[in-house]
Amino acid sequence: MPRYAMVIDLQRCVGCGACSIACRNENNVPDGMYWSNKITETVGTFPNVRYHYIPTLCNHCEYAPCVRGCPTKAMHKLPSGITMHDPKKCIGCKYCEFNCPYGVIYFNWQSPHKFWRDDRPLIEGGTASPKEVVEQAGARAVPYYNPEREDTLAGTRPKGVVEKCTFCDHRVKKGKLPYCVEACPASARVFGDLKDPNSKVSQLLGKFRPFRLREQLGTEPHVFYIRGFNPAQYTPSKGGV
Amino acid sequence: MKKGNKAFYVWLGVLGVFMIAGLVTALKLLMEGHVLFNTNDVIIWSLPLGAYIFLALTSSGLTLLSAIPLVFGVKKYEPLAKRLVFLAIATLCGAFVSIGLELGNVWHMIYIMLSPNLSSPIWWMGAIYSVELVLLAVKFWRLFMGDRSSLLSKYAGIASFICALAAPLMIGSVFGITESRVTYFGPVMSIYCLLMAMLSGVAFFILYAMVYHKVASEPVSPEQRVLYDEISLMLKYVAAGVLVFTLLKITIESATKVPEFLMIRKYEHTFGTVFGLQTEVALGLVLPFILLLFNVLRKSEVGKTIASALLWAGTLGMHMEILLSGQSHPIGPKAEQYGEALTYFPSIWEWLVFAFALAVMLAFYTLGERYLHLGQTAEPKTGYAAA
Repeated sequence: MPRYAMVIDLQRCVGCGACSIACRNENNVPDGMYWSNKITETVGTFPNVRYHYIPTLCNHCEYAPCVRGCPTKAMHKLPSGITMHDPKKCIGCKYCEFNCPYGVIYFNWQSPHKFWRDDRPLIEGGTASPKEVVEQAGARAVPYYNPEREDTLAGTRPKGVVEKCTFCDHRVKKGKLPYCVEACPASARVFGDLKDPNSKVSQLLGKFRPFRLREQLGTEPHVFYIRGFNPAQYTPSKGGV
Repeated sequence: MKKGNKAFYVWLGVLGVFMIAGLVTALKLLMEGHVLFNTNDVIIWSLPLGAYIFLALTSSGLTLLSAIPLVFGVKKYEPLAKRLVFLAIATLCGAFVSIGLELGNVWHMIYIMLSPNLSSPIWWMGAIYSVELVLLAVKFWRLFMGDRSSLLSKYAGIASFICALAAPLMIGSVFGITESRVTYFGPVMSIYCLLMAMLSGVAFFILYAMVYHKVASEPVSPEQRVLYDEISLMLKYVAAGVLVFTLLKITIESATKVPEFLMIRKYEHTFGTVFGLQTEVALGLVLPFILLLFNVLRKSEVGKTIASALLWAGTLGMHMEILLSGQSHPIGPKAEQYGEALTYFPSIWEWLVFAFALAVMLAFYTLGERYLHLGQTAEPKTGYAAA
């Protein structure tokens, strides 16, 4: 059984956010939630400033605090190492969200995609209502609804349960790549089997020294970052004198 | 309140109004979801959960206090046993109302038992409190039947005592074992919750007793006075324990350079400060402790009432402050959506959940006092019936 992991090349990542948009489309993610997200940081004082951009997603930790803490086993591990969530078992206690050290789990505070259920047009007699747009598109919940998501998880998750990245397990099951990997225009994301020494993931982790988020917690995240990007240069001098 | 007293029915009416408002809130939550709460993906748990912790720990404290006569066999405390067990049941029912609406669906509370995860402190917390409620009900039933000495009665008392010890430890570990939130002080949180359970339980019992004697126009007998004075002394010692713990916690929070603690220092305290000390600690712990230090005040009914009321309310304030300050800053990428430090004020629906929980608890007390003869000492049953 493979052990899936992702390597994100920070030198290749241009911070375009295509991963986030692709994820939203693929997984019918509601507004205000980000299965695929980012941490940005600006350091220094003008004009000596630097901007950091780290794409984030569920780390599918080996020792996942969300799985350990879930009282009903709604949050569970698949044999492939993917941390999966079963909304049918979720009681909405939000402990996984409270317990996640990476801030990648979200709660459905209300029924998702509320905007698209609105039957009032923006301009009376001029535009269609969001509800009509969905109906005309022949879709469910949102006009860009992806029914393939339903293969392994509810297409949209109901109010009162949490949701998060699943490494696009429904695609991986069919031998496809997670959609954020597929959509990345800079090929900054590499997905594969950590157990296979010949996989690209294993090769990259051997070639470059990776880091993981909050490694000191011992959760063993399965998202690795390589090649921190910094284009800045400076003139050499003895001790800065 | 005496039978036929008009105030009794007015009181029940007031409780009824809050319970109806609570049921409307429950329906609204079921239909619209927790968007009704002033919570978000950073401040995840709020007043309903704080109220649950507060009431559940008070119930544990009352059960621990009831163990003095029922487990350790201190005879002179036996007149208090039935009332203590009943108060523990009623308070736990209030706690369950609050957690039920925090989850939004009563079925979810039952489902926890059907799909257990033994590594989850939330599962253990739910399981232990559920078992404790059943054991307390059995214990009360035996006491009500006048049975203090049968095996069933004794074992129900011992088992509920063990549950009351374990449950606060589990509540503490829900917070203490979170990898991401060091500001909850790890496993020490469990010890803190146990101390807080004892403090809130003992404080609440004294407050209840004082209010009961006033409302029922029943003067405190010399025997009762001795017991209440002793329990007030216990309250002083427990308050001292919590005070030492709290001051130590504040000192560490102020002195450490651990980044997460530096972050929560930016958090504006929920209830503000008095002379640089958090209001709930100053007025809900330090002040009543000082009052309890004076024998004259500690032995007077007014002194007991004020000190216990401040301490009981103070424990709610301290639970809320700990709960909220630990969630005041976003983790990881959520900082992109939310500010660096967040504040919280409950929505009307959260207040109604809290009021519902209190109304259920108070309705139980009121009806229990009226119909279940809580003040009567049960005569030991002997022979076949007690076996």
